[in-house]
Amino acid sequence: MGFNQIVLLIIAILGLAALVRTILGPTVWDRILGLNLLSSKVIMSIVVFAFSLNKSYLLDIAIIYALFGFISIVMIARFIEKRGDL
Amino acid sequence: MREQIGNILIVTALIFIFFGVYGIFKFKDFYPRILISSKVDTVGLITLMLGIIVKSGINFFSLKVLIILLLVIITNPLSTHSIARSAYISGYKVKKE
Repeated sequence: MGFNQIVLLIIAILGLAALVRTILGPTVWDRILGLNLLSSKVIMSIVVFAFSLNKSYLLDIAIIYALFGFISIVMIARFIEKRGDL
Repeated sequence: MREQIGNILIVTALIFIFFGVYGIFKFKDFYPRILISSKVDTVGLITLMLGIIVKSGINFFSLKVLIILLLVIITNPLSTHSIARSAYISGYKVKKE
């Protein structure tokens, strides 16, 4: 196991901890916060994985994931704010 | 030399991200949780991307990583603000300690 693999393992464990907050959050906003943290962890792990393989086309997946994560978080937050009336 | 500087930056980023995840289990209210986690997590992501850029050198790969970094710097505070605004408008009150 090199340095990059250990970094990927630690990021995966921290992402699982964010998922625990998503599952047992008391309110619905805690759950959205956990999803937001998990999304940023996934972006980081994609970048580290692309660096360890040295393939630059894998970074396109990270760009797409960042854009879709942002749009989905904003849309879910507005959906709850307007009480189910987009 | 460049390798060691990049490794030190990545380890610092992992420490930042660990404190951001620790903060969402320490506090009992929603607003301290979102304050701690969003700030520390964004700083951790910036530091990790800078470490990858320093380790990779100046080429096509680091240019794409820089694009992702700029995108995340713009969108991550916006999504956090959107969540906090949704909670405030829906009537989630700040608890007195």
